[in-house]
Amino acid sequence: MKKSLLALAICLLYPTLSQASDLSDDGTFKLTGFYSITGAKVLSGSALNSSTPWTYQQWQCPCSMQAWEYAGVYEKNKGFQFNQESLVGVQLKKDFSPTFSATTQIISRANNPNTGSRPTIDWAYATWTPEQDSPWTFQAGKMRIPLYYYSDYLYIGYAYPWVRPAPDVYGWPIYAYNGANLSYRAQLGKSEWATTVSAWTGGYTQKNDAYDTLIYYTTPTHESWKKILGVSVAANNGIVDVRAMYMRYKDTLWQDKPGGGNLYLVNDQSTQIMGVSANMDYKNWLIKAEVDRYQQVDASKGLNNVYKYALFGVGYQFGAWTPMYTYSQYTTINEPTEGRKTHYLSLRWDFHKDTALKIQYDISKDKSHYPYPFFGDSKLLSISLQGIF
Amino acid sequence: MKQLIRTMVMVSALSSITLPVYAELVIVVNPQNDIKSMSNSQAAQYFLGGSVQFTPLEQASGSPIRLEFYKKVLEKEPPQVQAIWARIVFTGKGKPPKEYKTSEEIKKAIRENVNAIGYIEKSAVDDSVKVVASIP
Repeated sequence: MKKSLLALAICLLYPTLSQASDLSDDGTFKLTGFYSITGAKVLSGSALNSSTPWTYQQWQCPCSMQAWEYAGVYEKNKGFQFNQESLVGVQLKKDFSPTFSATTQIISRANNPNTGSRPTIDWAYATWTPEQDSPWTFQAGKMRIPLYYYSDYLYIGYAYPWVRPAPDVYGWPIYAYNGANLSYRAQLGKSEWATTVSAWTGGYTQKNDAYDTLIYYTTPTHESWKKILGVSVAANNGIVDVRAMYMRYKDTLWQDKPGGGNLYLVNDQSTQIMGVSANMDYKNWLIKAEVDRYQQVDASKGLNNVYKYALFGVGYQFGAWTPMYTYSQYTTINEPTEGRKTHYLSLRWDFHKDTALKIQYDISKDKSHYPYPFFGDSKLLSISLQGIF
Repeated sequence: MKQLIRTMVMVSALSSITLPVYAELVIVVNPQNDIKSMSNSQAAQYFLGGSVQFTPLEQASGSPIRLEFYKKVLEKEPPQVQAIWARIVFTGKGKPPKEYKTSEEIKKAIRENVNAIGYIEKSAVDDSVKVVASIP
Protein backbone atom coordinates (compact mmCIF):
# COMPACT_ATOMS: atom_id res chain seq x y z
CA MET A 1 0.00 0.00 0.00
CA LYS A 2 2.86 2.37 0.82
CA LYS A 3 4.29 1.84 -2.64
CA SER A 4 0.96 2.41 -4.32
CA LEU A 5 0.47 5.59 -2.31
CA LEU A 6 3.87 6.77 -3.49
CA ALA A 7 2.94 5.98 -7.10
CA LEU A 8 -0.25 7.88 -6.53
CA ALA A 9 1.58 10.88 -5.13
CA ILE A 10 3.79 10.91 -8.23
CA CYS A 11 0.71 10.85 -10.46
CA LEU A 12 -0.80 13.75 -8.58
CA LEU A 13 2.40 15.79 -8.69
CA TYR A 14 2.71 15.38 -12.42
CA PRO A 15 -0.73 16.12 -13.83
CA THR A 16 0.40 15.16 -17.32
CA LEU A 17 0.90 11.62 -16.06
CA SER A 18 -2.50 11.42 -14.45
CA GLN A 19 -4.25 10.67 -17.71
CA ALA A 20 -5.31 7.42 -19.30
CA SER A 21 -2.00 6.02 -20.51
CA ASP A 22 -1.50 4.31 -23.81
CA LEU A 23 0.69 1.28 -23.38
CA SER A 24 0.93 0.70 -27.12
CA ASP A 25 1.53 3.12 -30.00
CA ASP A 26 -1.73 2.31 -31.77
CA GLY A 27 -3.82 3.11 -28.66
CA THR A 28 -5.22 -0.43 -28.31
CA PHE A 29 -3.66 -1.13 -24.89
CA LYS A 30 -4.72 1.32 -22.19
CA LEU A 31 -4.04 1.78 -18.50
CA THR A 32 -6.52 3.73 -16.41
CA GLY A 33 -7.20 3.73 -12.71
CA PHE A 34 -8.81 5.16 -9.63
CA TYR A 35 -8.02 5.70 -5.97
CA SER A 36 -9.59 6.62 -2.67
CA ILE A 37 -7.53 7.73 0.28
CA THR A 38 -10.08 7.61 3.03
CA GLY A 39 -9.67 8.46 6.69
CA ALA A 40 -12.37 8.33 9.31
CA LYS A 41 -12.74 8.79 13.04
CA VAL A 42 -15.51 7.69 15.38
CA LEU A 43 -16.40 10.79 17.40
CA SER A 44 -18.70 9.05 19.86
CA GLY A 45 -20.81 5.96 20.21
CA SER A 46 -22.89 3.83 22.51
CA ALA A 47 -24.72 0.50 22.68
CA LEU A 48 -27.77 -0.59 24.65
CA ASN A 49 -28.00 2.97 26.00
CA SER A 50 -24.52 2.91 27.50
CA SER A 51 -21.40 4.61 26.22
CA THR A 52 -19.13 2.39 28.31
CA PRO A 53 -16.64 0.88 25.85
CA TRP A 54 -17.55 -2.62 24.71
CA THR A 55 -16.14 -5.28 22.44
CA TYR A 56 -17.92 -6.72 19.46
CA GLN A 57 -16.04 -9.65 17.90
CA GLN A 58 -12.50 -8.40 17.19
CA TRP A 59 -13.39 -4.68 17.48
CA GLN A 60 -13.03 -2.26 20.37
CA CYS A 61 -16.19 -0.17 20.36
CA PRO A 62 -17.54 2.55 20.13
CA CYS A 63 -16.95 1.67 16.49
CA SER A 64 -18.51 2.00 13.08
CA MET A 65 -18.93 -0.58 10.33
CA GLN A 66 -18.26 1.13 7.01
CA ALA A 67 -17.19 -1.62 4.61
CA TRP A 68 -19.02 -4.92 5.05
CA GLU A 69 -17.33 -6.75 2.17
CA TYR A 70 -13.88 -6.37 3.71
CA ALA A 71 -14.99 -5.93 7.32
CA GLY A 72 -13.74 -2.34 7.47
CA VAL A 73 -14.55 -0.99 10.93
CA TYR A 74 -13.40 2.27 12.53
CA GLU A 75 -12.68 2.13 16.28
CA LYS A 76 -12.97 5.22 18.47
CA ASN A 77 -9.83 4.45 20.46
CA LYS A 78 -7.71 4.38 17.28
CA GLY A 79 -8.40 8.00 16.30
CA PHE A 80 -8.23 8.88 12.61
CA GLN A 81 -7.67 5.65 10.66
CA PHE A 82 -6.65 5.62 7.01
CA ASN A 83 -6.16 1.85 6.91
CA GLN A 84 -9.73 0.61 6.50
CA GLU A 85 -10.99 1.79 3.13
CA SER A 86 -8.07 3.38 1.24
CA LEU A 87 -7.40 1.73 -2.08
CA VAL A 88 -5.86 2.16 -5.48
CA GLY A 89 -7.00 0.31 -8.59
CA VAL A 90 -5.66 0.00 -12.09
CA GLN A 91 -7.50 -1.18 -15.14
CA LEU A 92 -5.74 -2.63 -18.16
CA LYS A 93 -7.71 -2.95 -21.36
CA LYS A 94 -6.50 -4.46 -24.59
CA ASP A 95 -8.54 -4.09 -27.78
CA PHE A 96 -7.79 -7.04 -30.04
CA SER A 97 -10.19 -5.69 -32.64
CA PRO A 98 -12.90 -2.99 -32.64
CA THR A 99 -15.36 -5.63 -31.42
CA PHE A 100 -13.27 -7.79 -29.07
CA SER A 101 -11.34 -6.73 -25.95
CA ALA A 102 -9.98 -8.03 -22.67
CA THR A 103 -10.07 -6.04 -19.43
CA THR A 104 -8.69 -6.58 -15.97
CA GLN A 105 -8.99 -4.46 -12.84
CA ILE A 106 -6.56 -4.98 -9.99
CA ILE A 107 -7.16 -3.31 -6.65
CA SER A 108 -4.73 -2.89 -3.78
CA ARG A 109 -6.58 -2.30 -0.51
CA ALA A 110 -5.21 -1.10 2.82
CA ASN A 111 -7.51 -3.62 4.51
CA ASN A 112 -8.21 -6.91 2.78
CA PRO A 113 -8.87 -9.85 5.10
CA ASN A 114 -10.36 -11.81 2.18
CA THR A 115 -6.96 -12.24 0.53
CA GLY A 116 -4.53 -11.09 3.18
CA SER A 117 -3.83 -7.60 1.82
CA ARG A 118 -2.51 -8.79 -1.52
CA PRO A 119 -3.87 -6.90 -4.53
CA THR A 120 -6.98 -8.62 -5.84
CA ILE A 121 -8.25 -9.04 -9.34
CA ASP A 122 -11.75 -7.62 -8.95
CA TRP A 123 -12.55 -7.88 -12.65
CA ALA A 124 -11.06 -9.99 -15.49
CA TYR A 125 -13.28 -10.38 -18.51
CA ALA A 126 -13.55 -10.47 -22.26
CA THR A 127 -16.02 -8.23 -24.09
CA TRP A 128 -17.47 -9.03 -27.48
CA THR A 129 -19.93 -7.11 -29.63
CA PRO A 130 -21.33 -8.42 -32.94
CA GLU A 131 -20.19 -5.22 -34.70
CA GLN A 132 -18.85 -1.78 -33.85
CA ASP A 133 -21.58 0.40 -32.27
CA SER A 134 -23.80 -2.66 -31.84
CA PRO A 135 -26.47 -2.36 -29.14
CA TRP A 136 -25.55 -5.88 -27.95
CA THR A 137 -22.62 -6.59 -25.64
CA PHE A 138 -21.52 -9.98 -24.36
CA GLN A 139 -19.01 -10.36 -21.52
CA ALA A 140 -17.49 -13.42 -19.86
CA GLY A 141 -15.08 -13.76 -16.95
CA LYS A 142 -14.95 -12.41 -13.41
CA MET A 143 -17.07 -9.33 -12.74
CA ARG A 144 -18.79 -7.58 -9.83
CA ILE A 145 -22.46 -8.45 -9.37
CA PRO A 146 -24.56 -5.48 -10.52
CA LEU A 147 -27.06 -5.83 -7.67
CA TYR A 148 -28.09 -2.42 -6.46
CA TYR A 149 -27.41 0.91 -8.12
CA TYR A 150 -23.85 1.38 -6.79
CA SER A 151 -22.88 -2.30 -6.36
CA ASP A 152 -20.68 -2.69 -9.42
CA TYR A 153 -18.84 0.61 -8.85
CA LEU A 154 -18.78 0.63 -5.07
CA TYR A 155 -15.02 1.36 -5.08
CA ILE A 156 -14.98 4.04 -7.81
CA GLY A 157 -15.37 6.92 -5.37
CA TYR A 158 -14.96 9.60 -8.03
CA ALA A 159 -18.19 8.40 -9.67
CA TYR A 160 -20.55 9.22 -6.77
CA PRO A 161 -21.08 12.16 -4.40
CA TRP A 162 -20.36 10.53 -0.99
CA VAL A 163 -17.22 9.20 0.67
CA ARG A 164 -18.91 5.78 0.18
CA PRO A 165 -22.43 4.62 -0.74
CA ALA A 166 -24.56 3.99 2.39
CA PRO A 167 -23.13 0.95 4.23
CA ASP A 168 -26.68 0.25 5.49
CA VAL A 169 -27.55 -0.80 1.94
CA TYR A 170 -24.21 -1.92 0.48
CA GLY A 171 -22.35 -4.93 1.78
CA TRP A 172 -22.39 -8.61 0.95
CA PRO A 173 -20.40 -11.76 1.68
CA ILE A 174 -20.27 -12.39 -2.09
CA TYR A 175 -19.90 -9.46 -4.49
CA ALA A 176 -18.33 -10.96 -7.60
CA TYR A 177 -19.28 -13.73 -9.99
CA ASN A 178 -17.53 -15.92 -12.50
CA GLY A 179 -19.84 -16.15 -15.45
CA ALA A 180 -21.27 -14.20 -18.33
CA ASN A 181 -23.59 -11.32 -19.07
CA LEU A 182 -25.48 -10.01 -22.02
CA SER A 183 -26.70 -6.45 -22.36
CA TYR A 184 -28.71 -4.46 -24.85
CA ARG A 185 -28.62 -0.67 -25.07
CA ALA A 186 -30.93 1.41 -27.20
CA GLN A 187 -32.49 4.78 -27.67
CA LEU A 188 -36.27 4.55 -27.36
CA GLY A 189 -37.46 5.66 -30.78
CA LYS A 190 -36.52 9.27 -31.48
CA SER A 191 -36.96 10.27 -27.85
CA GLU A 192 -34.19 11.27 -25.46
CA TRP A 193 -34.86 8.10 -23.42
CA ALA A 194 -32.20 5.42 -23.57
CA THR A 195 -32.60 1.98 -22.07
CA THR A 196 -30.27 -0.82 -21.00
CA VAL A 197 -31.43 -4.36 -20.38
CA SER A 198 -28.90 -6.77 -18.85
CA ALA A 199 -28.91 -10.38 -17.76
CA TRP A 200 -26.13 -12.24 -15.96
CA THR A 201 -25.43 -15.76 -14.81
CA GLY A 202 -22.66 -17.56 -12.96
CA GLY A 203 -21.49 -18.35 -9.47
CA TYR A 204 -18.84 -17.61 -6.87
CA THR A 205 -17.31 -19.20 -3.78
CA GLN A 206 -15.40 -17.27 -1.15
CA LYS A 207 -13.69 -19.41 1.47
CA ASN A 208 -13.29 -17.87 4.90
CA ASP A 209 -15.00 -14.68 3.78
CA ALA A 210 -14.58 -11.58 5.94
CA TYR A 211 -18.30 -10.83 6.17
CA ASP A 212 -19.41 -14.19 7.59
CA THR A 213 -16.26 -15.06 9.52
CA LEU A 214 -15.24 -11.76 11.09
CA ILE A 215 -18.56 -9.98 11.48
CA TYR A 216 -20.83 -12.88 12.49
CA TYR A 217 -19.47 -16.37 13.17
CA THR A 218 -15.83 -15.84 14.28
CA THR A 219 -14.98 -19.38 13.11
CA PRO A 220 -13.82 -19.68 9.48
CA THR A 221 -17.02 -19.68 7.42
CA HIS A 222 -17.38 -20.18 3.71
CA GLU A 223 -20.11 -19.00 1.38
CA SER A 224 -21.05 -19.96 -2.13
CA TRP A 225 -23.60 -18.41 -4.48
CA LYS A 226 -24.42 -20.79 -7.31
CA LYS A 227 -26.79 -20.76 -10.27
CA ILE A 228 -26.98 -16.98 -10.17
CA LEU A 229 -29.52 -15.62 -12.61
CA GLY A 230 -30.08 -11.88 -12.63
CA VAL A 231 -31.78 -9.35 -14.82
CA SER A 232 -31.96 -5.56 -14.76
CA VAL A 233 -33.81 -2.95 -16.78
CA ALA A 234 -32.69 0.68 -16.68
CA ALA A 235 -33.90 3.77 -18.48
CA ASN A 236 -32.68 7.34 -18.44
CA ASN A 237 -33.32 10.58 -20.29
CA GLY A 238 -30.34 12.53 -19.03
CA ILE A 239 -32.38 13.91 -16.09
CA VAL A 240 -34.18 10.92 -14.62
CA ASP A 241 -32.58 7.51 -14.26
CA VAL A 242 -34.68 4.53 -13.13
CA ARG A 243 -33.59 0.91 -12.66
CA ALA A 244 -35.16 -2.34 -11.51
CA MET A 245 -33.22 -5.53 -10.70
CA TYR A 246 -34.10 -9.08 -9.78
CA MET A 247 -31.64 -11.88 -9.05
CA ARG A 248 -31.96 -15.40 -7.70
CA TYR A 249 -29.32 -17.93 -6.72
CA LYS A 250 -28.63 -20.96 -4.54
CA ASP A 251 -26.85 -20.06 -1.32
CA THR A 252 -24.60 -22.38 0.66
CA LEU A 253 -22.98 -21.36 3.93
CA TRP A 254 -20.72 -23.81 5.72
CA GLN A 255 -17.88 -24.39 8.17
CA ASP A 256 -15.26 -27.14 8.42
CA LYS A 257 -16.02 -29.85 10.97
CA PRO A 258 -13.09 -30.43 13.37
CA GLY A 259 -12.72 -34.06 12.29
CA GLY A 260 -13.19 -33.29 8.61
CA GLY A 261 -16.28 -32.79 6.50
CA ASN A 262 -18.62 -29.84 6.26
CA LEU A 263 -21.08 -28.37 8.70
CA TYR A 264 -23.81 -26.74 6.59
CA LEU A 265 -25.49 -23.67 8.06
CA VAL A 266 -27.46 -23.11 4.86
CA ASN A 267 -27.38 -25.62 2.04
CA ASP A 268 -28.27 -24.94 -1.59
CA GLN A 269 -30.99 -22.56 -0.48
CA SER A 270 -33.02 -20.63 -3.01
CA THR A 271 -32.50 -16.89 -2.37
CA GLN A 272 -33.79 -13.75 -4.08
CA ILE A 273 -32.50 -10.20 -4.16
CA MET A 274 -34.42 -7.36 -5.78
CA GLY A 275 -34.26 -3.60 -5.95
CA VAL A 276 -35.59 -0.49 -7.61
CA SER A 277 -33.81 2.84 -7.81
CA ALA A 278 -34.68 6.29 -9.11
CA ASN A 279 -32.24 9.14 -9.47
CA MET A 280 -32.67 12.65 -10.74
CA ASP A 281 -30.06 15.12 -11.91
CA TYR A 282 -31.95 18.26 -12.91
CA LYS A 283 -30.26 21.66 -13.22
CA ASN A 284 -28.36 21.85 -9.94
CA TRP A 285 -30.50 19.37 -8.02
CA LEU A 286 -29.56 15.76 -7.32
CA ILE A 287 -31.94 13.15 -5.93
CA LYS A 288 -30.94 9.56 -5.16
CA ALA A 289 -33.44 6.96 -4.02
CA GLU A 290 -33.61 3.20 -3.80
CA VAL A 291 -35.53 0.42 -2.09
CA ASP A 292 -34.14 -3.11 -2.00
CA ARG A 293 -34.95 -6.49 -0.55
CA TYR A 294 -33.14 -9.75 0.18
CA GLN A 295 -35.12 -12.87 0.98
CA GLN A 296 -34.16 -16.38 1.94
CA VAL A 297 -37.41 -17.89 3.08
CA ASP A 298 -38.31 -21.55 3.52
CA ALA A 299 -40.99 -22.35 6.09
CA SER A 300 -40.14 -26.08 6.06
CA LYS A 301 -36.62 -25.26 7.32
CA GLY A 302 -37.72 -22.45 9.60
CA LEU A 303 -35.82 -19.95 7.42
CA ASN A 304 -37.18 -16.41 7.31
CA ASN A 305 -34.18 -14.26 6.48
CA VAL A 306 -35.51 -11.06 5.00
CA TYR A 307 -33.55 -7.81 4.78
CA LYS A 308 -35.25 -4.58 3.72
CA TYR A 309 -33.10 -1.65 2.62
CA ALA A 310 -33.81 1.96 1.67
CA LEU A 311 -31.78 5.01 0.75
CA PHE A 312 -32.80 8.60 0.00
CA GLY A 313 -30.56 11.55 -0.70
CA VAL A 314 -30.88 15.09 -1.92
CA GLY A 315 -28.06 17.36 -3.03
CA TYR A 316 -27.44 20.68 -4.71
CA GLN A 317 -24.48 21.55 -6.86
CA PHE A 318 -22.86 24.98 -6.56
CA GLY A 319 -20.11 24.95 -9.18
CA ALA A 320 -17.38 22.70 -7.81
CA TRP A 321 -19.23 22.05 -4.53
CA THR A 322 -21.88 19.36 -4.01
CA PRO A 323 -23.40 19.24 -0.52
CA MET A 324 -25.84 16.42 0.16
CA TYR A 325 -28.14 15.10 2.83
CA THR A 326 -28.79 11.35 2.75
CA TYR A 327 -30.78 8.94 4.86
CA SER A 328 -30.55 5.15 4.81
CA GLN A 329 -31.88 2.22 6.78
CA TYR A 330 -32.02 -1.53 6.83
CA THR A 331 -33.83 -4.08 8.94
CA THR A 332 -34.42 -7.81 9.15
CA ILE A 333 -37.87 -9.09 10.09
CA ASN A 334 -37.26 -12.12 12.32
CA GLU A 335 -36.69 -11.56 16.05
CA PRO A 336 -34.13 -10.72 17.23
CA THR A 337 -34.04 -8.28 14.33
CA GLU A 338 -30.94 -6.50 13.09
CA GLY A 339 -31.33 -2.96 11.82
CA ARG A 340 -29.85 0.49 11.50
CA LYS A 341 -30.85 4.04 10.54
CA THR A 342 -28.30 6.60 9.43
CA HIS A 343 -28.27 10.29 8.50
CA TYR A 344 -25.38 11.55 6.37
CA LEU A 345 -24.19 15.08 5.61
CA SER A 346 -21.63 15.06 2.84
CA LEU A 347 -19.72 17.61 0.79
CA ARG A 348 -17.87 16.90 -2.44
CA TRP A 349 -15.39 19.44 -3.76
CA ASP A 350 -14.11 19.02 -7.32
CA PHE A 351 -11.03 21.13 -6.70
CA HIS A 352 -8.77 19.75 -9.41
CA LYS A 353 -9.13 17.91 -12.70
CA ASP A 354 -10.15 14.29 -12.10
CA THR A 355 -9.79 14.74 -8.32
CA ALA A 356 -12.39 15.30 -5.63
CA LEU A 357 -12.10 15.91 -1.92
CA LYS A 358 -15.00 14.73 0.21
CA ILE A 359 -15.93 15.26 3.81
CA GLN A 360 -18.83 13.52 5.49
CA TYR A 361 -20.51 13.36 8.89
CA ASP A 362 -22.70 10.36 9.72
CA ILE A 363 -25.06 9.86 12.64
CA SER A 364 -26.03 6.22 12.87
CA LYS A 365 -28.45 4.48 15.24
CA ASP A 366 -28.34 0.75 15.85
CA LYS A 367 -31.93 -0.54 15.80
CA SER A 368 -31.04 -4.20 16.35
CA HIS A 369 -32.85 -6.23 19.01
CA TYR A 370 -29.82 -8.35 19.85
CA PRO A 371 -29.50 -9.00 23.59
CA TYR A 372 -25.77 -8.15 23.42
CA PRO A 373 -24.12 -4.91 22.22
CA PHE A 374 -23.68 -5.08 18.43
CA PHE A 375 -21.94 -2.28 16.46
CA GLY A 376 -24.06 0.24 18.35
CA ASP A 377 -24.77 3.91 17.66
CA SER A 378 -22.02 6.07 16.29
CA LYS A 379 -21.08 9.49 15.02
CA LEU A 380 -18.43 9.28 12.34
CA LEU A 381 -16.35 11.91 10.55
CA SER A 382 -14.83 10.84 7.23
CA ILE A 383 -12.56 12.56 4.76
CA SER A 384 -11.50 11.19 1.41
CA LEU A 385 -9.41 12.16 -1.58
CA GLN A 386 -10.75 10.34 -4.61
CA GLY A 387 -9.77 10.46 -8.22
CA ILE A 388 -9.28 8.77 -11.55
CA PHE A 389 -6.32 8.56 -13.89
CA MET B 1 -16.52 60.72 -10.05
CA LYS B 2 -16.34 61.28 -13.79
CA GLN B 3 -13.29 59.08 -13.87
CA LEU B 4 -15.18 56.38 -12.01
CA ILE B 5 -18.16 56.53 -14.36
CA ARG B 6 -15.85 56.41 -17.36
CA THR B 7 -14.08 53.36 -15.90
CA MET B 8 -17.40 51.67 -15.17
CA VAL B 9 -18.68 52.31 -18.69
CA MET B 10 -15.45 50.95 -20.11
CA VAL B 11 -15.59 47.84 -17.91
CA SER B 12 -19.19 47.14 -18.89
CA ALA B 13 -18.41 47.72 -22.55
CA LEU B 14 -15.47 45.35 -22.35
CA SER B 15 -17.47 42.69 -20.56
CA SER B 16 -20.25 42.90 -23.14
CA ILE B 17 -17.65 42.27 -25.82
CA THR B 18 -16.11 39.30 -24.08
CA LEU B 19 -19.43 37.80 -22.94
CA PRO B 20 -20.21 35.65 -26.00
CA VAL B 21 -17.19 33.46 -25.27
CA TYR B 22 -17.84 31.25 -28.20
CA ALA B 23 -19.45 31.55 -31.58
CA GLU B 24 -22.52 29.48 -32.36
CA LEU B 25 -21.80 25.77 -32.27
CA VAL B 26 -23.43 23.01 -34.28
CA ILE B 27 -23.85 19.26 -33.87
CA VAL B 28 -22.74 17.42 -36.97
CA VAL B 29 -22.89 13.89 -38.40
CA ASN B 30 -21.78 12.11 -41.55
CA PRO B 31 -23.83 13.35 -44.58
CA GLN B 32 -24.63 9.72 -45.45
CA ASN B 33 -26.52 9.30 -42.18
CA ASP B 34 -30.32 9.44 -42.64
CA ILE B 35 -31.00 11.53 -39.54
CA LYS B 36 -32.20 15.08 -40.28
CA SER B 37 -32.30 16.71 -36.84
CA MET B 38 -32.00 15.88 -33.18
CA SER B 39 -32.78 17.52 -29.85
CA ASN B 40 -30.03 18.61 -27.45
CA SER B 41 -31.03 16.00 -24.88
CA GLN B 42 -30.97 13.28 -27.52
CA ALA B 43 -27.45 14.33 -28.57
CA ALA B 44 -26.41 14.45 -24.91
CA GLN B 45 -27.22 10.74 -24.54
CA TYR B 46 -24.41 9.81 -26.97
CA PHE B 47 -21.87 11.96 -25.15
CA LEU B 48 -22.90 10.60 -21.73
CA GLY B 49 -22.88 6.91 -22.69
CA GLY B 50 -26.66 6.48 -22.56
CA SER B 51 -26.95 5.22 -26.12
CA VAL B 52 -24.52 3.73 -28.62
CA GLN B 53 -26.51 4.52 -31.76
CA PHE B 54 -23.89 7.17 -32.62
CA THR B 55 -20.16 7.23 -31.85
CA PRO B 56 -19.39 10.53 -30.08
CA LEU B 57 -16.21 12.45 -30.92
CA GLU B 58 -14.89 14.88 -28.30
CA GLN B 59 -13.07 18.17 -28.68
CA ALA B 60 -9.84 18.66 -26.71
CA SER B 61 -10.11 18.54 -22.92
CA GLY B 62 -10.40 22.04 -21.48
CA SER B 63 -11.05 23.73 -24.87
CA PRO B 64 -13.60 26.60 -24.82
CA ILE B 65 -15.87 24.85 -27.34
CA ARG B 66 -16.00 21.73 -25.15
CA LEU B 67 -16.92 23.76 -22.06
CA GLU B 68 -19.61 25.53 -24.10
CA PHE B 69 -21.01 22.20 -25.32
CA TYR B 70 -21.04 20.77 -21.77
CA LYS B 71 -22.86 23.83 -20.47
CA LYS B 72 -25.44 24.21 -23.23
CA VAL B 73 -26.05 20.68 -24.47
CA LEU B 74 -25.04 18.30 -21.68
CA GLU B 75 -26.00 20.88 -19.00
CA LYS B 76 -23.23 19.53 -16.77
CA GLU B 77 -19.89 20.60 -15.35
CA PRO B 78 -16.78 18.73 -16.62
CA PRO B 79 -16.31 16.75 -13.34
CA GLN B 80 -19.93 15.50 -13.57
CA VAL B 81 -19.29 14.23 -17.08
CA GLN B 82 -16.02 12.62 -15.95
CA ALA B 83 -17.86 10.94 -13.06
CA ILE B 84 -20.45 9.47 -15.44
CA TRP B 85 -17.71 8.08 -17.70
CA ALA B 86 -15.73 6.75 -14.72
CA ARG B 87 -18.72 4.59 -13.83
CA ILE B 88 -19.07 3.33 -17.41
CA VAL B 89 -15.37 2.66 -17.97
CA PHE B 90 -14.67 0.89 -14.66
CA THR B 91 -17.75 -1.35 -14.90
CA GLY B 92 -16.99 -2.35 -18.49
CA LYS B 93 -20.10 -0.75 -19.95
CA GLY B 94 -18.46 1.25 -22.70
CA LYS B 95 -15.59 3.26 -24.10
CA PRO B 96 -15.23 7.00 -23.49
CA PRO B 97 -15.34 9.22 -26.59
CA LYS B 98 -12.10 9.64 -28.48
CA GLU B 99 -10.61 13.14 -28.26
CA TYR B 100 -9.58 15.27 -31.23
CA LYS B 101 -7.45 18.41 -31.12
CA THR B 102 -9.32 20.54 -33.66
CA SER B 103 -12.63 20.83 -35.49
CA GLU B 104 -10.75 19.93 -38.70
CA GLU B 105 -9.77 16.58 -37.13
CA ILE B 106 -13.37 16.03 -35.98
CA LYS B 107 -14.64 16.60 -39.53
CA LYS B 108 -12.05 14.19 -40.89
CA ALA B 109 -13.11 11.49 -38.39
CA ILE B 110 -16.78 12.06 -39.23
CA ARG B 111 -16.03 11.58 -42.94
CA GLU B 112 -14.51 8.20 -42.06
CA ASN B 113 -17.36 6.89 -39.88
CA VAL B 114 -20.99 7.00 -40.95
CA ASN B 115 -22.10 6.61 -37.28
CA ALA B 116 -19.94 9.40 -35.86
CA ILE B 117 -21.33 12.49 -34.15
CA GLY B 118 -19.41 15.60 -33.17
CA TYR B 119 -19.73 19.31 -32.50
CA ILE B 120 -17.83 22.15 -34.16
CA GLU B 121 -18.09 25.94 -34.61
CA LYS B 122 -20.77 26.93 -37.11
CA SER B 123 -18.08 28.73 -39.11
CA ALA B 124 -16.23 25.42 -39.59
CA VAL B 125 -19.17 23.72 -41.35
CA ASP B 126 -18.57 22.54 -44.93
CA ASP B 127 -19.85 19.83 -47.30
CA SER B 128 -18.07 17.05 -45.41
CA VAL B 129 -20.57 17.16 -42.52
CA LYS B 130 -24.33 17.46 -42.00
CA VAL B 131 -25.70 19.79 -39.30
CA VAL B 132 -28.41 18.13 -37.16
CA ALA B 133 -28.69 20.81 -34.46
CA SER B 134 -27.60 24.41 -33.94
CA ILE B 135 -26.86 25.74 -30.49
CA PRO B 136 -27.00 29.54 -30.37
